[in-house]
Amino acid sequence: MQVSQVREPLINGEKSYENITSDVMAPVRAKPGKLWFLGFGISALVMLAGFAAIAYTVWFGIGTWGVNRTIGWGWSITNFVWWVGIGHAGTFISAILLLFRQKWRTSINRAAEAMTLFAVMCAGLFPLIHMGRLPLAFFIFPYPNTRELWVNFNSPLLWDVFAITTYLLVSLLFWYMGLIPDLGTIRDRMKTLWKKKAYNFLSFGWKGSARHWQRHESMSLVLAGLAAPLVLSVHTIVSFDFATSVIPGWHTTIFPPYFVSGAVFSGFAMVLTLMIVTRRALNLQEYITVGHVESMNKVIIATGSIVGIAYITELFMAWYSGVEYERYAFINRAMGPYAWAYWIMMTCNVISPQLLWIKKLRRNLTFTFILSIFINIGMWFERFVIVVTSLHRDYLPSSWSMYKPTWVEVAIFLGTFGLFFTLFFLFIRIFPVIALAEVKSVAKSSARKFIRKSSKKSKPENE
Amino acid sequence: MKNIIYGHFTDDHDLLEAVKALQEKGIHIADVRTPFPVHGLDTVLKLRRSHLPKVAFIAGVIGAVLMFSFQYWVFTEGWPLNFGGKPYSSILSFIPATFEITVLFAAFAMGIAFLLRSNLGPGSIPDILDEEVTNDHFQIILSEKDNTLSETELAEALEATGALDVKQVNTKK
Amino acid sequence: MEKQNIPEPVPFKFGKKLKTYLGIAAGIGLLALLIAVFVQQLPSERIWANLWMNALMFLFLGLGALFFWTVNTLGESTWQINFQRVMESMGLTIPFAAIFFVLAFPGLKDLFEWTHTEHLDRILQEKTPYLNMPFWMVRFAVYFILWSFFAWYLRKISVKNDFEPHDKYLGRLRATSGWFIVFFAISSSTAAWDWLMSIDAHWFSTLYGWYIFSGMFVAAIAVIILITIAFKKFNILPNVNKEHLHDLGKYLFGFSIFWAYLWLSQYLLIWYSNIPEETVYYVERVNNYKTLFYMNLIINFVVPFFALMTRGSKRQPLYLAIVSLVVLLGHYLDLYLAIMPGAVGHENASIGLLEIGLPFFYLAVFLTLFFISFGKAKPVPENHPYAIESSSYENI
Repeated sequence: MQVSQVREPLINGEKSYENITSDVMAPVRAKPGKLWFLGFGISALVMLAGFAAIAYTVWFGIGTWGVNRTIGWGWSITNFVWWVGIGHAGTFISAILLLFRQKWRTSINRAAEAMTLFAVMCAGLFPLIHMGRLPLAFFIFPYPNTRELWVNFNSPLLWDVFAITTYLLVSLLFWYMGLIPDLGTIRDRMKTLWKKKAYNFLSFGWKGSARHWQRHESMSLVLAGLAAPLVLSVHTIVSFDFATSVIPGWHTTIFPPYFVSGAVFSGFAMVLTLMIVTRRALNLQEYITVGHVESMNKVIIATGSIVGIAYITELFMAWYSGVEYERYAFINRAMGPYAWAYWIMMTCNVISPQLLWIKKLRRNLTFTFILSIFINIGMWFERFVIVVTSLHRDYLPSSWSMYKPTWVEVAIFLGTFGLFFTLFFLFIRIFPVIALAEVKSVAKSSARKFIRKSSKKSKPENE
Repeated sequence: MKNIIYGHFTDDHDLLEAVKALQEKGIHIADVRTPFPVHGLDTVLKLRRSHLPKVAFIAGVIGAVLMFSFQYWVFTEGWPLNFGGKPYSSILSFIPATFEITVLFAAFAMGIAFLLRSNLGPGSIPDILDEEVTNDHFQIILSEKDNTLSETELAEALEATGALDVKQVNTKK
Repeated sequence: MEKQNIPEPVPFKFGKKLKTYLGIAAGIGLLALLIAVFVQQLPSERIWANLWMNALMFLFLGLGALFFWTVNTLGESTWQINFQRVMESMGLTIPFAAIFFVLAFPGLKDLFEWTHTEHLDRILQEKTPYLNMPFWMVRFAVYFILWSFFAWYLRKISVKNDFEPHDKYLGRLRATSGWFIVFFAISSSTAAWDWLMSIDAHWFSTLYGWYIFSGMFVAAIAVIILITIAFKKFNILPNVNKEHLHDLGKYLFGFSIFWAYLWLSQYLLIWYSNIPEETVYYVERVNNYKTLFYMNLIINFVVPFFALMTRGSKRQPLYLAIVSLVVLLGHYLDLYLAIMPGAVGHENASIGLLEIGLPFFYLAVFLTLFFISFGKAKPVPENHPYAIESSSYENI
């Protein structure tokens, strides 16, 4: 496959295959520095604090939270949807961008997918805690209870169980299958015997045989084909949790695709937040280039604009439908007691990403970093608006209510950040952050300068 | 007793040329090992297309049928319950879970089939001849067993393609 | 990769034979219309609804192709360059779609309940700020002026680069594509509300615009595939190879699934919530158009899903062409189900000579315009800085 000269290179600097191996492996080989220990330590502490808050909730009950009978879903479901959303970027990058032959994905897919797994783990915690009795969480799986009653397959909440579980497992499979060859690479570079053995165990005994590669490629492609609709299905089903109901502001048919788009939007924002720091910290600037950031910013502007159009469509249809409850729900969003949340959402999600139409800003790392945090905040508020603002005004004015989180809910939310970053810090030390084999396969066509080692013995008839 | 001759290149293009050159001489190539999937190598080696997609399809169909009939059974035979006045067999309600299980079955069946077929898995010990294969060596392995030529002739042929570090080993296996 | 022998390109000529065929097709369509009006004396709303449906399909093919081209340009994709002129030329039919719409204007009263301003119920009265004739006309004009402008301007830049190559043209192409996509993102939804959703004036669905868009996109891809395969066969586009067909096939496959996804999302949510204001739309269709309703799903989802699942199926030109044709007909049916129940009602609607014959007229006009536009420029863009990428890639 030939690549046009005009195209921006994906890898900067002069690289040979060997350089790529050593560059990407450096963080795995080196001893972690002070900053790493500091970051890991803080994350672990925050995580433990979060676990303590979860234990507190389980011990004393959901009464320790700010939720009430009108607003039965508070921060917890907001956080759940937010984390699941973030967990969409990784598989989107590795599956859908693979199908669309976007080569720039090779530098970021591994880390993004790891991030996906961690985010989905964080997300999965919330519904489990919200059910109140954590040790009985297995009730959600379909098995006949003592009265031979099965779970309710009519319920979107149950569909969620299937969707999130499948998503976590298939993402894990996809991620790990991609990792196998790279773990083999690490194994062969390790000097100590136990590390060699450990990495050989992890790499499933990979040896790079042509037949294995062929099967591996074929499998990756089909897995991508399977994962692509899976990514769509997960947030679609999360949106069904809301949209199948008859609550104004929740029941709207645009929810499934709009949730998916919002999820990819927030997921890419999180990938940017993480990768802009990681590439500096791990010295991978030549692999995760400004061009990569620009490409991700383009995805952000596309998905962000889709989300914006969906907001406006909802608003318009609320009026167009002529249903008074629907109209009230949207007026209340924009002008009611929680209007501040609505306007934070609008500013962060709809207005601020439009700045990315300017090429200079798209390629500005500081700006991108700040913007990505804005989007993370905005997308959290989107879920807050959907959950809390829609619920706090019931059909019956007598049950109108307000909601404020308690310290327990805040602590659990922060705790999930701890969990997320703890896992991420471990990840960058144990696994290669960049998909080595995949980057090598595009190096020749897409590196700024590829150093081709004179491979053959010099033969007189050749020279 | 298997006598093995191997050598390597440090560029994928050279590897492809060498494979072609060896094949022209009628030499059978036991294995080629590379750090990444070399484009076009499978066609040159005439590897047949993998059956893994078929495995995925069959497993997916099994998953879909199982999950759908299970839900149908639960709601019509197992314990029919009225939820919001919907019919017992609400096919639409069964679609999401059926889809998820379809994907789950297809993906994992394919993953497991890949590992089994390639003899990979936790605890599998590979026969690595050159550790740089996972770095930047593109290795060709010839086996005396598959070829009419003698060991030295094979080594010469491999040398002639420009391969570096041509070596011979006898593995007792 | 083995070098294939690429035959010399045959210059495209809009010959006499082709013109005769198209003339016959147009004649069949007109005859069907005349018979329907004068011999069968069908109710007027059925005639107008058919004119409306075909005008929409005519527009969808051009607009969908323009979208496909611009979105590929914007995504810095390059594989489409070898048949890009097909999409460009299809886009140029957009302004003529406006004529077909205008021809159906006398029937607006028959089609749209909200135009009967003298006796509107309370709900429709509340909608008048949006659903009123003057504003509707303004929107109609804006859509067509801007869509046509973009189609014309993008084509102009693309052709200009053939003769005086310069990198600035690609930049301008991308920038203009961006503006088009922004406008298209809004107008594709609002146009779907204006021209289709407001037929069932009381009903509403936020997803509707995107659903119609997905159907339009699939229909346009089906036509791009059919034309590209024909041009490849006659060596007008000899540089189109199996890889291009494979990718086009993937689009047809993927977006058929996407269409089904949106179909399911809309139907499932309305079915689940069971709110009378919303279910009315589907009750009418499920009860009175049962066969067509389920056939729609089978032709547009089940058929392409199973027919295009394997790799080989997308690389087999004839096979892919047949599936594309089926899917194109399927989206006709989808449009039929969107329009007829509301505009004609199940007592009068049926599929007869008019429904089968009339599309031939529109098809003939579409192809005539397309061939004229296609003949005016080189069949493949020249001097495109990324041209090399379109001829040298392979699917795994």
